[in-house]
Amino acid sequence: MIAAFGIRKYFNVKQSMLSNLMLKAVDGVDLKIRKGEIFGLVGESGSGKTTLGRILVGLLEPTEGDVLFDVDEDVTSRYENALLKGDKEELEALSKKYSIFKKRGNNRKILRRKMNIVFQDPYSSLDPRMRIIDIVKEPMIATDYLKGEAAEKRVLDLLEEVGLGKSFAQRYPHELSGGQRQRVAIARALATEPEFVVLDEPTSALDVSVQAQILNLLKKLKQERELTMLLITHNIAVVSYMADRVGVMYAGKLMEVGDKIQVLKNPKHPYTVSLISAVPQPKPRSIRQRIVLKGEPPNLIFLPRGCIFHPRCPFAFEECGWSTDEIVDDLSYLISSKYYESFGESVSIRTKDENTIIIENAKAELISEIVEKEKANLKSLTAIKKITQEVNYVEIKIHDFITPELYKLDDGRKVACLLFRAEEKNA
Amino acid sequence: MEKRMEAKEIEGLRLSLVIFFSNKTAVVGLMIFMAYVIDALLMQFAPSMLGVNNPNALAFDYSNTIPQPPSPEHILGTTYFGVDLLQAIMQAIRIDLGYSGLIVISGALIGALFGIISAYAGGWFDEILMRITDIFFGIPYLVLALGVGFALGRTIESMIIALIIVWWPLYERYTRSLTLSIKEQTFIEAAKASGVSDLKIMIKHIFPNTLPPVLVQISLDLGVVMAIFATLTFIGFLPTGNLPELGYLTSLGLNYIQIAPWATIFPGLAITIFALAVNLMGDGLRDVIDPRRRSS
Amino acid sequence: MSEGPVIKIDDLHVYFFTRRGIYQALRGVNLTLNKGEVLGLAGESGSGKSTLGLAIMGLLPRNAIIPKGSIILGNGTDLVEKIRGKAPFKKDKLNLRKNELLIRNLNKHLQKIRGKRISMVFQEPMTALNPVLQIGYQIAETVLYHDAERLIRRALAREKVTREDLRNMIKILKNEGERGIYEYALKAGLNGIEEQIFAIWNREDIHEAKKEKMIIDLAKDKLGLFERIGLKLARKGMLKIPLISRLARRALIKEGYRVAKELLSSLGIPQVDSVVKMYPHELSGGMRQRVVIAIALANNPDVVILDEPTSALDVTIQAQILELIRNLRKKTNAAFLFISHDLSVLAEVSDRIAIMYAGKVMEVGRVEQIFEEPLHPYTKMLLDVIPTMEKDTLKPAKGTIPDARYPPPGCPFAPRCPFAKEDCLKFDREIAVTKDHIVSCILYENKK
Repeated sequence: MIAAFGIRKYFNVKQSMLSNLMLKAVDGVDLKIRKGEIFGLVGESGSGKTTLGRILVGLLEPTEGDVLFDVDEDVTSRYENALLKGDKEELEALSKKYSIFKKRGNNRKILRRKMNIVFQDPYSSLDPRMRIIDIVKEPMIATDYLKGEAAEKRVLDLLEEVGLGKSFAQRYPHELSGGQRQRVAIARALATEPEFVVLDEPTSALDVSVQAQILNLLKKLKQERELTMLLITHNIAVVSYMADRVGVMYAGKLMEVGDKIQVLKNPKHPYTVSLISAVPQPKPRSIRQRIVLKGEPPNLIFLPRGCIFHPRCPFAFEECGWSTDEIVDDLSYLISSKYYESFGESVSIRTKDENTIIIENAKAELISEIVEKEKANLKSLTAIKKITQEVNYVEIKIHDFITPELYKLDDGRKVACLLFRAEEKNA
Repeated sequence: MEKRMEAKEIEGLRLSLVIFFSNKTAVVGLMIFMAYVIDALLMQFAPSMLGVNNPNALAFDYSNTIPQPPSPEHILGTTYFGVDLLQAIMQAIRIDLGYSGLIVISGALIGALFGIISAYAGGWFDEILMRITDIFFGIPYLVLALGVGFALGRTIESMIIALIIVWWPLYERYTRSLTLSIKEQTFIEAAKASGVSDLKIMIKHIFPNTLPPVLVQISLDLGVVMAIFATLTFIGFLPTGNLPELGYLTSLGLNYIQIAPWATIFPGLAITIFALAVNLMGDGLRDVIDPRRRSS
Repeated sequence: MSEGPVIKIDDLHVYFFTRRGIYQALRGVNLTLNKGEVLGLAGESGSGKSTLGLAIMGLLPRNAIIPKGSIILGNGTDLVEKIRGKAPFKKDKLNLRKNELLIRNLNKHLQKIRGKRISMVFQEPMTALNPVLQIGYQIAETVLYHDAERLIRRALAREKVTREDLRNMIKILKNEGERGIYEYALKAGLNGIEEQIFAIWNREDIHEAKKEKMIIDLAKDKLGLFERIGLKLARKGMLKIPLISRLARRALIKEGYRVAKELLSSLGIPQVDSVVKMYPHELSGGMRQRVVIAIALANNPDVVILDEPTSALDVTIQAQILELIRNLRKKTNAAFLFISHDLSVLAEVSDRIAIMYAGKVMEVGRVEQIFEEPLHPYTKMLLDVIPTMEKDTLKPAKGTIPDARYPPPGCPFAPRCPFAKEDCLKFDREIAVTKDHIVSCILYENKK
């Protein structure tokens, strides 16, 4: 139905004339949404889910990558093969035919008919100076879908369908409540009978009971019209109720993609696991394993190396991408605070190069002992490969790292975590 | 349910009126402004009702050219060349209001056009326009108007063009900043997603949303422009002859200011009161479009 | 746990006068908050839950009136006595200017109580923090404003304490526990040193030896000349005199920074030394919310009102803050009023939950009562509309929350209620089904 390949979206962050930093909102995402499914895209703020949604509906052009629309398995696998082989001609040809960013003129209008979007904030997504009828009519007029009376009749039908009634046609948005506005926005998105609708946090500005009304409406519409939907939200409860398949995003990358029940009931990626365990449950005093993640999502300008989640990951190990800086931070905490007794004040610690740390005035044995003891708590220590005693200092070498890709598991889901690298090889 | 909703719609308009009329000074301003407008309209379409034959020319009375003090016959007295001041001011209001309206509205239209396009398009076009308007802002507007007027020739028409040239950058900046904030609202993005072209977005979405604040600005500017226009005629920059114009009227009485102060004060007051009135009215209008005032 | 109420709200009414009509935000709220508990206050927008929080703080806008009701603190002070039923009317209209004066008076009166006995955490931490002041300064200022004595005490105790004293106290701490320290400090005239010792002792991130060293180092931490003069001035009550007071203030603020560091590290913020010197915009959302909570706790208040403290945060950060609140509940003896629209969040932290609707409390009960045996149809609906994987359809009630200007008579939920009867329009009472489970619904009238 819709397939995105290698989507990257970088925003310029002007710092000064010389340095031009890039904020990596979306950083290499492949995504396929099948016809007639609701795909839930979950993530925290800054995970790039909204940017990705805007790219998929053609509102933003990606820095890199392409989005093919209205394609079947055959085309996507041809495109994938071409990508693997580096066959530029084939890529060009396919992109010319299917890419949503290469459509011009009439083709573009037809494309616009086939996809639309519903935004989060129902208060700013409707022009305050237009009547409801004109708001809902707009996509039909703009894409030459319907005109004049036919369009107006369709508006009235649509309003009925979203549960508002014809009387709302002549009103202005400010006369409507949040839930009613969101219904208008849904009616507008459905005006040209699109095949694909992006719902960007459609209910997060609404009260729970109104949210339930809107979710029920969306479910009903989906069943009646065989819509394909991309539901973007931070609310896992909403996704678990609505979606068929789920993708979890973190800092611009997809962490896990798969069937809803697989991903939400039996998550595999450490981030998904902790995200789901962090969701408050309406069951007081229920005994469940809760993982409270330390720290905060990374700075999108300077991303951690290796797996972007490793600094917060409770299961991280040697190859996840630990840098010497991270290890030095943890070691110096151990030396100056926790094991202060054994070290005293004279120890100094510094990085030599990307893979080496030097500790002066300390004994290798003692350090290895502590590292062994603390490995379970401070994951960065797992990345220490070798501790050697030199004449008057201790040298620490660290492991190389591997950047994880989306590995496919037996049950069909994909997980971007090194823990599952071997499993793919077996599968 | 139905009825409540309808009641609400009336409430929207009524609320605007309630807010405006709760500001007493704004109402005074509106009343004065309306008096000026009615005077101008009557002078345009039915001058005989006000006892004027030719609204475009002052009725000189060469039999008694010395300014006379106010009397039942001449309520505001007369000025040099024996002109009845009340009648002359009433004639002049039409000219001044008409010209300043023309200047401000055309300036606003040109400014809004460029402002919306430059903010919406962004990039080099925006950058160039910003620098051009910077140049205009760098020079005092009276000096600029004099310069442009002098270059184009000292006629009323060229003066109007000069003042429009001076005035549009103000609106360019204003609509630009308004557009920048409207552009960020999601309904613009929603329109794009619905396939609406950029031109249509500017016409159908952005322009109507910039309109209310621009209208308030226009009402505030009317007074300023009228004062500038009067200044230019007062200093004799424009050929006036027998043109009824408030600045010119003020200058007519200037030679007699010691023996006949009214001949200077009354036309001057006509300008000042108008400027004050539109300012008060503009404040009231600003309250009406201010969402914070609306909600309290 | 519960040792009597710290706040008792009785029949509280709050109305707002606007051009569009009179909004009846609270229409007879009865609620008690007991010592050491977390009371969750749930409701949709327009239910009046935030107004209740603001009313307790006395943070009312100038168009608010309190026609009836009382908010009584544990010690018997009635917070709204000054404005209850005193609204100045001119014919039918509220005299806004006079009402503003009235509320300003109330604010002045409450200023000493607010922040010291009751404090509040808002949803958007940026609104509670001053963007141009350092984090440490903001905490120091709160302490200085409400309890300058404490700062003087702390600084002087440190001035006086010797290494010998501290060594003794560590010994006592190891053998007898915290109580012994109080006695020792009292005997030695070192009041104020004990909280500094505890702050170090209770840290979990450092080794005992390091803690001991830090405690003994307290004796090294003597005051500078100007600070000593400043403190002397402060002790003589010269905080109000211009110029001289600056010296005193500076010394106290410096001490306040120490308090800030202790407080922040007890809330699990790493590298407090640099954090106290940061400005709010340098911190992330979750960190800011911790700072706001630190400010709220700075003076060991009896009551902390948390108004949607996690609604602007991400799930993983929300989990951190909820964990923090759970820990605080154990550590401090403050009572928390946790306002949220999200029942699931309340389920995680609350001891009891009150459900509000259209300015009234519909149901109050212990958390497991509310979730496992909800009584009021509205509570049931709220639970029914939480989306989960297992549910096929959600069953929201029809319609919307009533217009607060024209609230329906009797039970406000009746127009949307599937079990509504005619008598509902007259029903307006609270029924105690069990001792601690109160519901305001006609269905339970005879089941007592």
